Amino acid sequence: MTTNDAMIEFRDVHKYYGDYHALRGITATIRPGEFFSLLGPSGCGKTTLLRTIAGFEGISSGAVLIDGRDMADVPANKRPTNMVFQSYAIFPHLSVEENVGFGLRRDSRSKEDKAKAVIEALEMVGLKGYGKRAAHALSGGQRQRVALARALILKPKVLLLDEPLSALDKKMREQMQVELIRLQRQVGITFILVTHDQEEALVMSDRIAVMFEGEIAQLADPETLYRRPNSRKVADFIGTMNFLPASIISESAASVEIEAAGFGRIQLEPGQVMGGATAEGAAVGFRPETLTILYEGSAASDRESMATIEEVVYFGDMTYYDVRIDGSETNVRISMRNVFGRPVLDRGERARVGWSPGALVLFR
Amino acid sequence: MATSTGKSGEGRSEAASGLLLVSPTLIYAVLLLAAPLVTVLVYSLSLRDGGFGLDNYVTAWSDRINQLLIMRSLTVSFSVTLVTVLLAYPVAYFVSFYVKPERKSLWLFLITIPFWTSYLIRVFLWKVILGYNGVINSGLLSLGLIDEPLQAINYNVPALVMTLAHAYAPFAILPIFVALEKIDRSFLEAGRDLGESQLMTFIRVTLPLSMPGVIAAVLIVFIPTVGDYVTPDLIGGGKLPMIANRIEGTLLKQNNRELGSAIAVTAMLVVAVVSIVFLLLNRRFLKGAK
Repeated sequence: MTTNDAMIEFRDVHKYYGDYHALRGITATIRPGEFFSLLGPSGCGKTTLLRTIAGFEGISSGAVLIDGRDMADVPANKRPTNMVFQSYAIFPHLSVEENVGFGLRRDSRSKEDKAKAVIEALEMVGLKGYGKRAAHALSGGQRQRVALARALILKPKVLLLDEPLSALDKKMREQMQVELIRLQRQVGITFILVTHDQEEALVMSDRIAVMFEGEIAQLADPETLYRRPNSRKVADFIGTMNFLPASIISESAASVEIEAAGFGRIQLEPGQVMGGATAEGAAVGFRPETLTILYEGSAASDRESMATIEEVVYFGDMTYYDVRIDGSETNVRISMRNVFGRPVLDRGERARVGWSPGALVLFR
Repeated sequence: MATSTGKSGEGRSEAASGLLLVSPTLIYAVLLLAAPLVTVLVYSLSLRDGGFGLDNYVTAWSDRINQLLIMRSLTVSFSVTLVTVLLAYPVAYFVSFYVKPERKSLWLFLITIPFWTSYLIRVFLWKVILGYNGVINSGLLSLGLIDEPLQAINYNVPALVMTLAHAYAPFAILPIFVALEKIDRSFLEAGRDLGESQLMTFIRVTLPLSMPGVIAAVLIVFIPTVGDYVTPDLIGGGKLPMIANRIEGTLLKQNNRELGSAIAVTAMLVVAVVSIVFLLLNRRFLKGAK
């Protein structure tokens, strides 16, 4: 593999804290210029993995390479990475411009050039004219921008972001998501984001590594991750997924025929068949929006089943129906966009449900 | 006192109960602090032959011995403060950064051990070590390294500084420790992340952020040592009086309350001026620290 294909390379990385096995053989590559996310519940090792890139965390075995160079003996201050900390770590005894220019001390440029660089960096993150402000007089969103400017001014090869949006309110968070994407396109360097928010990861990333218990469960682009999760665990963690018990009737190299409760016999392509079933046995999974309730005159669906509506949750733009498909024993959720003139159905009503075998995933 | 909600009656009773709560302390402070202070001030301004004036201050300030003693007091205090803080910082740093969290209270507990014995006993301890017939001298004598006891290790300013620095070390360690504990460790990681070595991160991040604690330690050590008179008496063997010994002599031995009070007020003013300078410095650092 040439260095061009990998900005970061993890080679069978293990990390122990005493007896605790925090990273269990991480092998992955992160491409140059990629917006990459490490996604997982708290305690899955995602922050630890990020900190092994920054050099704040040593590894027990394996190797971490940045731009083709083994980082084993490179201390944090000599690595071509910079970090935006979860707490932002804006130095409280320094002004905004002193914070942003902190890493320029060892730079050989003239004082004027450095001051210009600081002004440009502040402009880039939308904090023009804030240089003289005291750091503690900033809001959460502004602190984050200062942290971004302080890291990006050093032109790192990789920018590391440790849950940078978790401290912001919802509106600010959504605004910063868009701005981070814009910034990443503008500077063109690799961004690695740690987050526990699956929506955030889906919105922002080119590729996502989903981590559970110190291992990468799946590494894929957002669409694949959403449509073809490779285990029930990943499917459960990302968005909502319905599961119905299924059994395999026959399988060949070209297709797998299954029988699923409520759906009957279905032919699946090999790409739709995953491992990662739970102890309950094989199940088909599908997203709530892949099922539709059919009204008079609705476009025809590949396949149809009859169902009883058990629960209705009205969201304004959307309605969630929990329905029981005839022949199955568990409720599944259907999300329907509300359209003017189309009535919202009531509990207990019977409905025709349309679906498509292509939207199903089998976990076995 | 009136609250904006208009429940001024409630506000008043709250203030009243607050006053009641602080009243024992308040009465204590008025009787034992403010009243004596005022008395001393009045004495310092009253003349022996009746009337009031600044004559006592003129006498006090023009006396060469007073000038010398206040200078010595300041020199000793500054030296003690410097030595104490320089010795206390590494200890506080070690406990804060290298001791496991669950062990920290044990370490702080150990640091307070010197306080278990009375101050006088601790001073005598140094006298036993450093004195004319002390441990060091008799040790060296019995080893045959010297023929007669060394004079250089007792009855001098370094001996005084050593004794006082030892006595005040825990006072200095605690505020510095607290300041270091309050520093978010991600600041130090940020310093490293932005390309600075551990030493430079200490100089550019840790040290400035711990300055409030350092200045608190400076004040805690400096203020009492200026007025100390037990230590110079015991360690200095009466040969190294400081300003407090002068005040005691003038007030009690010479029975000159007016002049003694004037010297006392002068010493207080000097301490106040130095402390205010430090406090202003502290405010500069605190301003940034939120």
